Amino acid sequence: MSERNRIGGDRRRGLTRRGALAGIAAGGALLAAPATLRAQGRARLRWWSPQASPEQLAAYRFQIERFMAANPGVEVVFEKTSDEGYQPQMAAAFASGEVPNIVTHLPSFAVSDYWSNGLLEPFNEVIEAIGPEKFFPGANDIYEIDRGVYAGTGIGNSAANMLWVRRDLMEKAGIDRIPRTWDELRDACRRMQGGGVYGAPLPYAKNSMTTLTIIGFIHLAGGSVFSPDLEVALDSEATRNALEFYASMRELCPPGATNYSWGESLTAFVSGATATGIYTGRVLINVNKQNPAIADHVTCATYPTISADVAPWTFNDFPSVMIPRQAGDMDATKAFAAFLFDPEGYIRQLHAAPGHVLPVLKTINDDPRYRDNDIIRKYPAEVELMAAAAAAGHNLGWETKAHRPNVKAGAIVGSGVLADMVQRVVLNGENVDRVVGETARAIEAIMKS
Amino acid sequence: MAMTRIERRYAWLGLALIGPTVLVFCAVIVFPLVAAIYLSLFRIYTPTLEGAWVGLGNYAELLARGEFWQALRTTLIWTAGTLTLQMLFGIAMALVLHQSLWFRSLARSLVLFPYFVSTVVAVLVWRWLFNDLYGILNHVIMVAGVSDMPLDWLGTMPNAMVSVILVGAWKYFPFVVIAVLARLQTIPEALYEAARIDGAGPVARFFDITLPQLRDVLVVVVMLRAIWDFKEFDLIFLLTGGGPVTATQTLPLVVYKEAFSMNQMGMAAAHAVAMMAVMLVFMIVYIRRTRGGQGA
Amino acid sequence: MTFLGRLAFNLIAWALVLVIAFPLAWMVVTALKPQSELFRRPPGFLPEAPTLDHFRRLLEETPFATYFGNSVILATATTAVVIALATLGAYSLVRFRYRGRESLAFLVLFTYLLPSVVLILPLYLMMVRLGLANTLASLVIAYTTFALPYALWLLRSFMAGVPEDLESAALVDGASRLGAFRDVILPQLVPGIISTALFTFILSWNEYLYALVLVNSDAARPLTTGVMSMLISAFNIEWSLLMAASVMMSLPLIVVFAFLQGYLTRGFGAGAVKG
Repeated sequence: MSERNRIGGDRRRGLTRRGALAGIAAGGALLAAPATLRAQGRARLRWWSPQASPEQLAAYRFQIERFMAANPGVEVVFEKTSDEGYQPQMAAAFASGEVPNIVTHLPSFAVSDYWSNGLLEPFNEVIEAIGPEKFFPGANDIYEIDRGVYAGTGIGNSAANMLWVRRDLMEKAGIDRIPRTWDELRDACRRMQGGGVYGAPLPYAKNSMTTLTIIGFIHLAGGSVFSPDLEVALDSEATRNALEFYASMRELCPPGATNYSWGESLTAFVSGATATGIYTGRVLINVNKQNPAIADHVTCATYPTISADVAPWTFNDFPSVMIPRQAGDMDATKAFAAFLFDPEGYIRQLHAAPGHVLPVLKTINDDPRYRDNDIIRKYPAEVELMAAAAAAGHNLGWETKAHRPNVKAGAIVGSGVLADMVQRVVLNGENVDRVVGETARAIEAIMKS
Repeated sequence: MAMTRIERRYAWLGLALIGPTVLVFCAVIVFPLVAAIYLSLFRIYTPTLEGAWVGLGNYAELLARGEFWQALRTTLIWTAGTLTLQMLFGIAMALVLHQSLWFRSLARSLVLFPYFVSTVVAVLVWRWLFNDLYGILNHVIMVAGVSDMPLDWLGTMPNAMVSVILVGAWKYFPFVVIAVLARLQTIPEALYEAARIDGAGPVARFFDITLPQLRDVLVVVVMLRAIWDFKEFDLIFLLTGGGPVTATQTLPLVVYKEAFSMNQMGMAAAHAVAMMAVMLVFMIVYIRRTRGGQGA
Repeated sequence: MTFLGRLAFNLIAWALVLVIAFPLAWMVVTALKPQSELFRRPPGFLPEAPTLDHFRRLLEETPFATYFGNSVILATATTAVVIALATLGAYSLVRFRYRGRESLAFLVLFTYLLPSVVLILPLYLMMVRLGLANTLASLVIAYTTFALPYALWLLRSFMAGVPEDLESAALVDGASRLGAFRDVILPQLVPGIISTALFTFILSWNEYLYALVLVNSDAARPLTTGVMSMLISAFNIEWSLLMAASVMMSLPLIVVFAFLQGYLTRGFGAGAVKG
């Protein structure tokens, strides 16, 4: 409770400053024109999401039409935000008060960042309306930043670091089972590499995929970036092991992996340029669409760990739903947020990206209507595995069940210090101890800021 | 010096003509500028623009950070490299396109094409050309036997910086071509005829007539391009994102990172103001020197 | 020049031109390749089964046409506003004497130094206050911030290149100051104005960052951000559609330029010094 008060206090103090800035704005805008005219008596809800493939858009349209039919007087418009550039867009929206009513599919750490600055509406009512018992157990823990209050909820789960392999290549190389440990993985990649095919598409770039992947590898080595009470714990043997393994994989990755992000990494596996892949279930859709020749040979497993003693750790960026506090028509907004989880529309949404966005509702996961989809029928074991792995997944904002949510996770990912760490060690060959030490200090500085 | 009545009247007319421009400047540039300087004195969380007064604290921290100085160095290398190539290649190409050439209009259109293409598209085309697996450049290199491995164009140093500079030069040299070409056409043919009668060869004619005539345009073009390159964001951000590590992280990228990835608007504004100060110093020196030359 | 000399010059010049234009060619080739040829290794030079399908999909299945229209309106409006302001401003800066003239010229440049990344948020706040958020008008205003100083400086140098005697002669003949500007200076300035307009148009046509932040509805989204957000996502880069979009974004500009280019040369002929 005291935590909430502190935030509230900050907000009040901020208001005076904000007044000052608004003053400049008014002064500069001598041509003061009337503010946007809102259509009276008709609620207009703006829905933002960075995920909008044509199939997803069709599903969203279906949900919107259904909602508008059931709620005359409410209009919902969907607006696509940029994938990499959502931060300036959200910043501009919050700063100006011209906020969307509902924002979906941003990673959970964006939610906790905005929440901790008092920008979001509590989500409890919406979760109540959906039915808390329908969720996978613990699905909303990551959003419970302040006790008893939820900052948002998940719209889907994703298992972002699945190991994708091709059985045909494994067979050809005489590998009889999917690698479970790093040594097995490296050995398998080495044996499958050749003839224009590389072992793996791991990213060594200055971008968020590299950051998120190395966080995963630190966990796969049995370590973590933070201790459960959020002290920086990066400077550890696990981190060194992760970096060492990551460096040893460099020669098994395509030369351009120094610039790979999600898109390139995915395409490398799908096009057959690499023998293994690291991605979500999106692989299944793309393989069937773009390279059907290998579609029957593709399967996945949780990513190998340093040894059989260390349990797998699935990276889930927890695509979220949140409602900005400044949004108008709050009742309609909350009703719409809950409506997004209405089985018929929600299943359509999931089917627009089968295997990629996995259900957060246990009830939906078990629903035969959800199972009734070409991809899910064709790869039932894979989808089931990913659903289970993602539901038990974590990310930097919530590294293990024991960890407190970390509201600075977004800033740490955004700062790129962890990707820099990979590049310095792997590409520049700098001294590991020094780099890890400096990175840990950089993260500490961000935690304090 | 006393002004005559008519001169004074003209002065008012002059002010009236520049008036709209000044007003627009005040509204759309001076105001955000003042706001930026003001913001740089606070520690501000970007999405709310709320924060606490820190005075010059942001600047002290910035100057103490190695990141700023390294980014400044990177920015200078990038600017100097790409600007030099743009100027050299731009002038050369303008001279070529000024000559009678078969299908000259087509040639001009093709040469100016890189400048038309939006940076976003240019970067994507180049990334597609640079692609390690499906890129035509690597294929050509391997077929020609220059290297048996695909080159890592953007992921290692110094390749990344060279690639960025080259793409920048490719993208922006047509600007120089256009400006120089337009000026070349206003040089009276009589000057060249006179020189020819005096027995001056093509090289002598270039240095004695063309270059001095181009001087004023070049002075402006260099300055505009220098400022523009110094501020370049899209091209580098989309091509390398500042990597590998921070090898191509120029100051505008740091500003973006602070403002939106780290949500530290105050710090971002401080970087921007510092950046502006650096440019200002360069500009003053540059203007002094080019002015001096003009007087002589 | 001998024929051989001309031949050699043409060959070298065209070789250079082709190297410069190669990415253009590759863009076109990629746009014509069916999806199945795209990820072939090693890449083939020419499409084996060229297809216009990507162009059709772009026009029929995506809001490309809307974005295109937005970009045309946006770039035209920005150019018109900027050129009108800058021509008058440059005339004033070059041909009038008043206190603060030099400092004004510097102020123009000074404002030009600030990186757009920090201008964005204050500017956005202003647009919201003006009730212009999420409109093309807000982008026109925003683009003025970088296009106007640019245009002013270019035109200033073009203006300085117009001989002062011409104006004096007209004034002696009894023309008013603005009359002399219209009848004598403006015709001389046409090539400069066309170049500047072209630059301004291209700058506004290609801008990305402002468009990303200031506008977030398809109704007002220009091509740059529209095409990017439509075709690039974390899970897929639609290379062939992207290249098709690039071709369609660039071709109009090339056509316009091919046309204006002739105008440039004629403009100079007409403006020759008389008497």
